[in-house]
Amino acid sequence: MRDSTRALAEWIAAGGRQIGEVLIEAGDAGFELRHYADRARDDLVLHERADAARAIATFDEAGRFRPLKTAPNLRRGWRLRLGSLSELREALDHLYPAMIGVWLSHQRGELQAVDLRETLARQTGMYRVTQKITDSQADELIGRFCRSEDGCLKHILWRIDTDRPVTTLPPDKLRPAVAGGFLPLLCHEACNLLVAQAREVVKKCEAKP
Amino acid sequence: MFSAKPESALVVVGHGSTVNPDSSAPTLDHVQELRRRGVFGEVHAAFWKEEPSLRQVPYLVDCDEIYVVPNFISEGYFTRTVIPRELELEGAVTSRGPRKIHYCEPVGSHPRMTELLLRRAAEIAPGVPPEETSLLIVGHGTSLNDNSAVAAKREVERIAAQGRYAEVFNAYMEEEPLIAKWDEFTTRPNVVVVPFFIADGLHSYEDIPVLLGIAETSAGAASASEQEVFRGNPYSRRGRTLFYASAIGTEPLFADLILEQVTAFDAAHREPALA
Repeated sequence: MRDSTRALAEWIAAGGRQIGEVLIEAGDAGFELRHYADRARDDLVLHERADAARAIATFDEAGRFRPLKTAPNLRRGWRLRLGSLSELREALDHLYPAMIGVWLSHQRGELQAVDLRETLARQTGMYRVTQKITDSQADELIGRFCRSEDGCLKHILWRIDTDRPVTTLPPDKLRPAVAGGFLPLLCHEACNLLVAQAREVVKKCEAKP
Repeated sequence: MFSAKPESALVVVGHGSTVNPDSSAPTLDHVQELRRRGVFGEVHAAFWKEEPSLRQVPYLVDCDEIYVVPNFISEGYFTRTVIPRELELEGAVTSRGPRKIHYCEPVGSHPRMTELLLRRAAEIAPGVPPEETSLLIVGHGTSLNDNSAVAAKREVERIAAQGRYAEVFNAYMEEEPLIAKWDEFTTRPNVVVVPFFIADGLHSYEDIPVLLGIAETSAGAASASEQEVFRGNPYSRRGRTLFYASAIGTEPLFADLILEQVTAFDAAHREPALA
């Protein structure tokens, strides 16, 4: 059986320092997390329970709900001091759900990317209609909805179709980050938010005379 | 008493929402409580509309043996179609390489749900004699949710069979008997209303209170996180004393029911352990 918490510990021991927008500082007393943009601040509100990360991750700076935890809108102004590795794991699972496990699966060569066409072909009910989106509509949508600037920080590992890669995003966005010290946020399959957006595109198109 | 499974993972599946955190909150609360108890090697939430997503589950979990419990009020489209499809399940037990995935019944189907509804009803109206009280179990009640209506009817029948409350009714937001007409079909001086939903949200914070006459329509979803409506109990309306509870799925005992669904699964599907 694999052990993703131990893998996290090994990553930190090897110099791992940042996941998404979160800086991790390892010290003798445990770990301290904060928003990377707050690294020089000394007026941060201190939290000392792993579940505080759940509240931190739920709303953005303006108090809006964050349905996508890898959106680049994690709020600032906090630091989170944690005494143990298991608490660190729990906090990171709130801040970036599933991302440690997905990263480890990728490391082990077990992560299987699923192309958008396959994801859409599987949909039933209200999302079945997404199968009608054209490749170019999908490409345009992904370029707008998934971009790192204001959409999502994950690196996309899937294509639109077997022979149709995404062309509307920079090449860096379409391969796992290799920068030292960063644990990459990886997208192996389009999320429900993107599928829901694809539905909007198709619906809008069908509404046109 | 649940016998611990330190070598197994538990995944509690909720619907989730892209609009507000209320939908996933009870599922995350139950997961937090079950982690605290330490009865599984790992405990995770997974959602249709939030993260972790159902598609991330295979990569999220370390253990080879996985129990999946849908935190849904009834069997239906999500438990029969969406969850099995997204998790690529082949039935109650799915074997994939070293992995074994056990797909349990939804929490709402557990026989103890009746006990939880009665407990919530008693808590919301302390000291109010049940024999002078009408109890209403409120469901959504559209064709999309046929199964939840069936489940709500089943609960009402079970509660009625116990004879503790003077009368027990189903009521719905969008079909007869309409919750808006609660004073027409209840006859007792006290009326207790329990929403048969997995989470609080716009329905329990606003839609049902408006239909009951204990809240005004607000400008929109911005008010959805308001718990105020539960603090106003009891309400004097239409010549009765009205008690309004939050959604049954927010009940902390749901954590126990999740474990009991695992136990029930083992009893139904596993070979007895060798002595």
